[in-house]
Amino acid sequence: MLEIRHLSVSYGQHRALADIVLTANRGEIVVILGANGAGKSTLLKAVAGLVSAAAGASVRIRDRELAGDEPHRIVEAGIALVPEGRGIFGDLTVRENLQLGAYAARARDDEARNHARVLALFPRLAERMSQTARTMSGGEQQMLAIGRALMSSPEFLLLDEPSLGLSPLVCRELFAALKEIGASGIGVLLVEQNAKQSLAIAQRGYVIETGRITLAGKSEMLRADPAVQRAYLGAAGAASSTDTPSTD
Amino acid sequence: MVLIDILISGLILGGMYALVAMGLTLQYGVARILNLAYGEVLIASAFATYVLYTGFAISPLLGLLIVLPLAFAANWLIYRVMLTPLVKRARNRVTLEIDSILATFGLLFVLQGIAFVVFGGQYYSYSYLSVPLHLGGSIVSVNRLLALGFAAALGIALYLALTRTRSGTAIRAVAVDPTSAQLVAINVRRVAGFAFALGGAMCAAGGVLTSMFLTFNAAMGVVFTMKALIVVIMGGVGNLLGALLAGLLLGLIETFVARLVDPGLTLAANFALFLAVLLIRPQGLLGRRAS
Repeated sequence: MLEIRHLSVSYGQHRALADIVLTANRGEIVVILGANGAGKSTLLKAVAGLVSAAAGASVRIRDRELAGDEPHRIVEAGIALVPEGRGIFGDLTVRENLQLGAYAARARDDEARNHARVLALFPRLAERMSQTARTMSGGEQQMLAIGRALMSSPEFLLLDEPSLGLSPLVCRELFAALKEIGASGIGVLLVEQNAKQSLAIAQRGYVIETGRITLAGKSEMLRADPAVQRAYLGAAGAASSTDTPSTD
Repeated sequence: MVLIDILISGLILGGMYALVAMGLTLQYGVARILNLAYGEVLIASAFATYVLYTGFAISPLLGLLIVLPLAFAANWLIYRVMLTPLVKRARNRVTLEIDSILATFGLLFVLQGIAFVVFGGQYYSYSYLSVPLHLGGSIVSVNRLLALGFAAALGIALYLALTRTRSGTAIRAVAVDPTSAQLVAINVRRVAGFAFALGGAMCAAGGVLTSMFLTFNAAMGVVFTMKALIVVIMGGVGNLLGALLAGLLLGLIETFVARLVDPGLTLAANFALFLAVLLIRPQGLLGRRAS
């Protein structure tokens, strides 16, 4: 279980996150909803160690305290982040990106198995092994980013807006893959603008507004919540809306 | 005849530049340290080779086995003790660049001062395998050819290590994107320290090999720093093949100008080439424009 408690983050005078309490279990998909600038990305970055949390924060995995640890040690502990903008190594090939995904000591034993699993999940990567990552389409780059994260044998996968900028068709593929990852026993913490599709694959969700969690519960409950419908599901039009991601 | 002469001499000189620049591109491209004391490390290695050869009868090529590990250790120590505090407090790449320029500028004078105290200002050279060899109608000494051969072997070994091994790929990953490198469990500071030390060892190799056929003195380091810097920027920062190409090009043009135009114009020719590259391809010959 991933347990986050009393997590606050400030950028100078500006408080980006205030006293976040959040849990996720392995094999569970948890979605984090919120408007732009609400602090969703900061939350994932703080868990991954890329931004430092205020004193008193706790991020625990299997009873191991990770708050304040360096990012590379957090990956070794079993948490992999797919950052916004993907963070793949554009100048390196797909093969090299995946190879680096298994750089962590924890990933070495299962490298072959994880590699096969990634290619089964994203067959298109298999055709592109020698291609420079930067030259691939946005969807393929996103698949590579997720594949690279999976290569580290994570217990928890953190994803920051993976569907951003992808076509509806590629989006559907992506969410299907995430569902499969969750079903394989990895915990998925998903930050998304696309509330409709992410709530459809998630078991639970949180809503963050201006740095605070304002709502938490099962996906069905969030879907039925009038405030969530108004803010994230396109209000009255929700019933007739298509699968097109709402980019507002 | 003259052309073959120029070609051989130019390739030998260019090979040295390429080797030395490969080391600097590791330090600057991976560790993000613009090391102004780089040439002093080269000169220190040349003096070490001189002492080993004239004092202990250890040949320069055998001396590589002593000087390279020493240079690696010394550079690693410089990174750990002197540069790590700068890395830790740097808010971004620009502040680190400015701090490292100032710090290594100081280091330059410390190393140069020590060299002056120990060796004085006069020029040094020694004679090792300066046997003439006829090659395609022109004459080259064996030590130059050996130096080129060793430079090529080291350059190829470095290239293969960086492209064919996971650790090498990790070094390139840090050069491309340090933030993302952390996300695949790479300890960026450790890899940067390793790259800095490895770059220093390549520089030392350049010092050992050039001392086999060039005279040197305690004040000459800055010339090598400047040329290595030109080669690195011309090739594209962090780009090994770019450094190789630009190094060879610089050596050839320098030799060409020195032989056919005027030896006094070599530095001018260097910088003319450098300016041309900066104007036409600011990202370097093989570099990619930052997106």
